[in-house]
Amino acid sequence: MNINRIKTLALKEWREILRDRLFLSLAFVVPISMMLVFGYGIKMDVENIPFAILDQDRSAMSRDYLHLFIDSRYFDYQGDVANENEIDNLIAGSKIRFAIIVPPKFQETLLSGRPIAVQSLIDGTFPFRTSTSKGYVAAINNAFNTQLLTAYISQKMGVTAEQSAAFISPIKIQLRYLYNQEVKSIWSIAPAMMMFILLTTPPFLTALGVVREKESGSIYNIYSSTVTRGEFLMGKLFPYVVISCINVVILWLIAIFAFAAPFKGDPVFFFIASVIYVTCTTGIGLLVSLFSKTQVSAMMLTVVVTIVPAVLYSGLLVPIASMDAASQFEAHLFPAMYYTDIALGSFLKGIGMKQLWTRVAALLLYTIILWVISYNLFHKRVKA
Amino acid sequence: MVAMTAKELLQLGRDTVLVCAVLYLFTLDIMMAGGVKMDLNQGAVVVHDSDHSMASRELIYRFQPPYFKLSGEILNEKEGIRLLDQGEALVVLDIPPKFQHDLLQGKPTAVQVQVEASNTVLGTLAASYSAQIIGQYGFDAALQRMGLTGEGLETVPMLDDRHRVWYNPNQEDAWFMSISELLTVITILAMMLPAAAAVREKERGTIEQLLVSPLTPMQIMLSKVISMTLVILIGTAVSVGFVLYGFFEIPIKGSLPLFFLVTALYTFAMSGLGLFISTISRNLAQAAMLVIMIMMPIILLSGAWTPPEAMPDGIRQAMYLSPLYYYIEMAYGILLKGAGLAVLWDSLLGLTLLGSVMFMFGVGRFKRQFE
Repeated sequence: MNINRIKTLALKEWREILRDRLFLSLAFVVPISMMLVFGYGIKMDVENIPFAILDQDRSAMSRDYLHLFIDSRYFDYQGDVANENEIDNLIAGSKIRFAIIVPPKFQETLLSGRPIAVQSLIDGTFPFRTSTSKGYVAAINNAFNTQLLTAYISQKMGVTAEQSAAFISPIKIQLRYLYNQEVKSIWSIAPAMMMFILLTTPPFLTALGVVREKESGSIYNIYSSTVTRGEFLMGKLFPYVVISCINVVILWLIAIFAFAAPFKGDPVFFFIASVIYVTCTTGIGLLVSLFSKTQVSAMMLTVVVTIVPAVLYSGLLVPIASMDAASQFEAHLFPAMYYTDIALGSFLKGIGMKQLWTRVAALLLYTIILWVISYNLFHKRVKA
Repeated sequence: MVAMTAKELLQLGRDTVLVCAVLYLFTLDIMMAGGVKMDLNQGAVVVHDSDHSMASRELIYRFQPPYFKLSGEILNEKEGIRLLDQGEALVVLDIPPKFQHDLLQGKPTAVQVQVEASNTVLGTLAASYSAQIIGQYGFDAALQRMGLTGEGLETVPMLDDRHRVWYNPNQEDAWFMSISELLTVITILAMMLPAAAAVREKERGTIEQLLVSPLTPMQIMLSKVISMTLVILIGTAVSVGFVLYGFFEIPIKGSLPLFFLVTALYTFAMSGLGLFISTISRNLAQAAMLVIMIMMPIILLSGAWTPPEAMPDGIRQAMYLSPLYYYIEMAYGILLKGAGLAVLWDSLLGLTLLGSVMFMFGVGRFKRQFE
């Protein structure tokens, strides 16, 4: 290892990156715009769901009931339909997402003190929207049921409306949302996005940088020079790690200022953990580049090995604790999971080294393993 | 031109890593995406039960799969906070002393639910399901006190909430996720492959050879687009046949020829963008990043993640500019809903118009390069 040689190599790589203006600007523009687009774009809140009504009773009571839907801000009333066939067409054409059917004799049955079934038809194409819509419909039905029962009990037992209301819901629920009291989705998306972006972009840049030399043949200059393997890898990758570190800071600033996410943890700890993380993801890019001969295949391979674990095994969508044993095992094999814990912990939970040191240690170990494998796989001599 | 198309396919076939990657994207990747569950799945619940009565136990045992799983009891609140901090519990349920006593006396009582909301989607779901469970429990307890159970319920005026979910009766996330992933894969490849094929010629300098050849720019370009479209269609066929139908057992309701026709149209439209990218980038690294840059707004505005109706007004209109918006509508329409042209004609028209504009634009830029 000769520091001077590493420096020279890093400088050469840095110049090459600087000269490619488009590449350089994209290296920063891509992560930033990803952050902004995802941050502002992903809205998981389901609102304004378009729906239609089939009222076969047309009584005062059915109108009261249906107005609970029409007046709700979660729903967007699209009008009445005359029969079920019309509902079919509207749902098939995505004009509405669900329909409520009030059966004939709705008022009569309820007033005579008997239960009645109300049907809702829900579009199941997008399961997340379906379960949310179902939840809203159930909530409105519950509210209406409470009204009905309150009236029924106060009449039957001769108590006031308030007493009977207390009677049917004896348990109060004190709900507390921890770490994100107002349940702002952007607060949890911002740290998760840092995990995602810092996992996907550094390998991209690195792989393309290394394979470019392979494809253009300039790597033979390295092969024939006195530079050792270790020096080459260090010098080559140093600039990419630096770019990623700058991105860490930029993304962090966007999360804090543009998205107003709280940062309750220790910035120094978070920064150190992030540097380890990007060194690790850069290592993934290095490993990919050793396997591929062309830039296209390097690109594809990077997509394959980073995006899937970033989405599936990071805890971004599915909490690790809810996975089955096999998936849990796989999740532990990828670095994403550890950094998600670190990012969410530092931003929202305000925990630090004391609780998260195992995650940092795992990342560090991961990084070392990646780099050792790459070092052993990288040969200066081309196989015949 | 046939020769050129064959050459493109050959070139692609020689890059084994690339072929494997494409194959992977169309099969394993989609299988894995199908494994993602968006609904709350076995969220860990820990209980702090200060009552230890029949009533509290009955309430606790209502937290069951699929949404929840009980993962133990804790003795103090601090332990609960620690588990939430570590992400080992999603919900901490706190039942007060004298819970059963109060309930039997008809006195109001309160149950505390602490939800880990660092993931807001899961946090909200966990909160609303817990509230439903507890509310229902209180309701049942009240009815029981009135002596209204089983048969007696027939005499209470109540709504019975019945829902039917169409197209995906069991709400299998896999059905949605796998198709969504397939569409994303098609989108990426439809831009990336033609762009890569065109930029590679530039980077290697072989484009000069093409220039002096008797082929017109249009022929050069079409052969690239056609060969890549072929690759994508084959991949899609493999994916629909083996993964969607074979592995996830999605009942394909609509007409497959129509689906492939629409896919070919979409691929052509996107390859226009790919060619455009190839004209402004000098090497593959640049092209790759431009692909990502262009892809993000297209996916975002497509309604794949956020339903169109939840978008703010300006953005909602902008969605008509995303080709994926029409393609998603048609793909789900054909595959899951069994819709035909009678329902989907407006989306098809939209995609055709937008696609022609995009393709002409790409072609125009590509041609100018040669002049």
